[in-house]
Amino acid sequence: MMRSVIGLEIHAQLSTKTKAFCSCKNEVDADPNTNICPICTGQPGALPVLNDQVVEYAIRGALALNCEVHKVSSFDRKNYFYPDLPKGYQITQYFHPIATKGYVELNSGKRVRIRRIHIEEDAGKMFHSSENITESESSLVDLNRCGVPLIEIVSEPDMEKPQEAREFMEKLRDVLRAVEISTGNMEEGALRCDANVSVVDDNGRSSSRVEVKNINSFRFVQRALEYEIDRISKAMKSGKNVPMETRGWDSASKSTVSMRSKEAENDYRYFPEPDLPILVIAEERIERIKNSLPELPDEKAKRYEEKMGIQKENAKILSKDKGLSKYFEDATEIGISPKDASNWIVNEVMSLFNANSAEFDPEKVPLTYLKKIIDYTNSTKISRLAAKEVIDEVYKTGEDPDTIVKKRNLLQMSDEDSLVPLVREAIAENPKVVEQYRKGKGSVVGFFVGAVMKKTNGKADPKLAGKLAKKLLDGEIE
Amino acid sequence: MLFKRSVEELIDDVKIGKLDEDTVVSYFKERSARLDPKLRVYISTCTIKGKKGPLRGIPFAVKDNMQLNDTKTTSGSKILENYGSAFTATAVKKLLNNGGTVIGKTNLDEFAMGSSTEYSAFFASKNPWDLSRVPGGSSGGSAAAVASGMVPFALGSDTGGSIRQPASFCGIVGYKPTYGLVSRYGLSAFASSMDQIGPLTKNVRDAALIGNMIFGHDSNDATTVDREINVMNALENPIEGMKFVLPLEFTKDLSSNARHVLNEAVENLKKLGAKVEERSIPSLKYAVSVYYIIAPAEASSNLSRYDGIRYGLRVEKDSIDETYNQTRDEGFGKEVKRRIMLGTFTLSATYYDAYFDKAQRVRAKITDELLKILQTHDAIIGPTTPKTAFKFGEISSPLDYYLQDIYTIPANLAGLPSISVPMGFVENLPIGLQIMGKRFDDSKILQIARAYEKVRGEFPMPNVENGGEK
Repeated sequence: MMRSVIGLEIHAQLSTKTKAFCSCKNEVDADPNTNICPICTGQPGALPVLNDQVVEYAIRGALALNCEVHKVSSFDRKNYFYPDLPKGYQITQYFHPIATKGYVELNSGKRVRIRRIHIEEDAGKMFHSSENITESESSLVDLNRCGVPLIEIVSEPDMEKPQEAREFMEKLRDVLRAVEISTGNMEEGALRCDANVSVVDDNGRSSSRVEVKNINSFRFVQRALEYEIDRISKAMKSGKNVPMETRGWDSASKSTVSMRSKEAENDYRYFPEPDLPILVIAEERIERIKNSLPELPDEKAKRYEEKMGIQKENAKILSKDKGLSKYFEDATEIGISPKDASNWIVNEVMSLFNANSAEFDPEKVPLTYLKKIIDYTNSTKISRLAAKEVIDEVYKTGEDPDTIVKKRNLLQMSDEDSLVPLVREAIAENPKVVEQYRKGKGSVVGFFVGAVMKKTNGKADPKLAGKLAKKLLDGEIE
Repeated sequence: MLFKRSVEELIDDVKIGKLDEDTVVSYFKERSARLDPKLRVYISTCTIKGKKGPLRGIPFAVKDNMQLNDTKTTSGSKILENYGSAFTATAVKKLLNNGGTVIGKTNLDEFAMGSSTEYSAFFASKNPWDLSRVPGGSSGGSAAAVASGMVPFALGSDTGGSIRQPASFCGIVGYKPTYGLVSRYGLSAFASSMDQIGPLTKNVRDAALIGNMIFGHDSNDATTVDREINVMNALENPIEGMKFVLPLEFTKDLSSNARHVLNEAVENLKKLGAKVEERSIPSLKYAVSVYYIIAPAEASSNLSRYDGIRYGLRVEKDSIDETYNQTRDEGFGKEVKRRIMLGTFTLSATYYDAYFDKAQRVRAKITDELLKILQTHDAIIGPTTPKTAFKFGEISSPLDYYLQDIYTIPANLAGLPSISVPMGFVENLPIGLQIMGKRFDDSKILQIARAYEKVRGEFPMPNVENGGEK
């Protein structure tokens, strides 16, 4: 059995108000080159000054990822030429990062270790007239993103399956969102992932390490790694050489293509950044941030499961997103039982948003309305089916469930007196099915329930209808 | 004879109404225009007036590696020949806020890399004492301008001696403040960990006066310190009882004539009641080597931004790499290229430990040794330069050229305040006395320099108008 070894390098854009080393707005999507200044465009004589909010966010992220935050860290320059890098170097933390030694715990209980977290600045964005810079007649550069703060999170090569890498990324995103330091949006480039992978064969021989870049969705983390492991494994089996190289994921062809060999890589000539003093963080500051961290998704899920008696799967889903978990907790506050709240939110409310591929928005299904719908259903005043109809209508129109139930005449027939004649009718109309019942096929009771539902346009209480059908068939009532 | 007057005297003249501010500015502009063809001091001239303040009506010149709105800032390089400043450097702004008027941007060795202005991309400036000789550098334009009375004072920058060495060559005062006292914001970076802006003046009182105006924490420069300092307060205090070290490393290569001038200066200091102890500071012998690893390394990175993409010279070629190569090949002069290559080499992954890292460690050792001595002594003194101004083209070997900075470099490596005061003439050319103290002891070194200046007596000015020969 071939085995794979996967490590990730993740860049997360921090959602600070301003850039890392100047006071330009941190708004990447503004009109091109509008959020720029002498500092982030690398004018002569301009100097960087560290934005303290970047430090705050980095510490928050590091602590949430179980890292050790260093009281002393420093900045370095990573030198290379590219038109989106105005200074000709990127300010980063190479020798002494702000944090090390953290981990993310996967659902299996396995811990993927984080080697380090460091602060750095983003580069600008290039627009080429062709696929890439070498083939282009011309290229344009937008420096709005230049100097936007990033944290780079480097994992240890602790993952063995592409699925683990994907889970790691998703967990990481959930944590970054929970502590409100990044949008964690991969599609928009706020969270970026480079994967390092190698394959070890049955004889313990390891392939070269291949780096896969340009992975821009959680799904593709898994897809790209699956593709790459397959490619390397096949090459190894056929005795081909696997060069150490950097490859790019191409989401159109669902494959990776070679970008450059490792030998052709830059020598970045790292050295300490003389324009920035050493970053000293007081112990009290680390403590203060630690104490102010919100409950993290995993802790929350555990609490939901253990203290509130919620199903594990539901607990995980509800704890992932801050808005959703608040919605859930508010639901329990207004008297919906945790079990009902979790089931209804996960199965009904969320599927509405998913079906409409919309972001979750608590305003669309107000909790007071949800409570009404659940109460209607629990007291069997409306059917489960009708409940779906009501919640759907609430989502679409924002109308009060009471109005919807009334307008659509959805109140369930749940009194025996009105149902008995209808059940009797159904039995009279289907002698053959009655015959089957008599021969011992008890399951045909469901058929009569269906028939009754049809007659009532779904308003009959199916449980009651079933009970009555059985009683009538057995002759317990006339 | 306004050109002979100090900044302080001119301030008084304006204050009491003896002179009006426009007269002073136009006098120096006129004198500048008349002498510049001889001395080649200015890369560009301008009239940028400041606000109301004590320097009202006082013109000054700024080394052309400091940004100033409405002027070009070339840094002495072809690559920035047409670069219009995007903002105003903090130090310049402070002087404008104090009422000063900038009347010109002065010549320098390209990106401040040099000791003669011979490496300016445009032309070499001349020494007012002898037009066949260099004014020193890299702040050679500023030094020549002040020495010849074209401006009452000028700003320079000092990374390895670029204020003090030309001050020594031109017979004026050049003061490099403690690293971190003056904002570097707006100074085109050469070696960021050592670059420091400071004044070139006729006398020590003016240096202290201008120093006070440009000091201070700047929210745009993270390496500036927040510290109250007033170097005028103790300026006239006696120096009796002070203890100085004259390192043997600073005297062993002196000519007998230069040694004689130095001895006179030492005698004068002793007359003031100071003790001068000659002793060795062994680590000083590594200063030049360490400097020429660290400064080019930082420079190679600092100069990466000149790539022809966003501003400055662009030599457009078919590919991005060729555009980079050709732009930088045509835009930079040979000394700058030499240092970029040197720095790129010493920072490369293979050689980082052997060169850059080791140099950083030796730098720390030199700093330690200097600080230890300065704990028990008030200052380290010596000649500012081993020799007086050399002739154009006289030094051709880069190594000999680099040794120009042998006495001035230690202060930059350790971030110490240091000042050069004229101490006499060797074969009709001026030479300076250097005084350096511990970090933030700027008041003390200025006090010593002032005391020395008084006992030394009046120092002459060159007669540029009649041939420029003394």
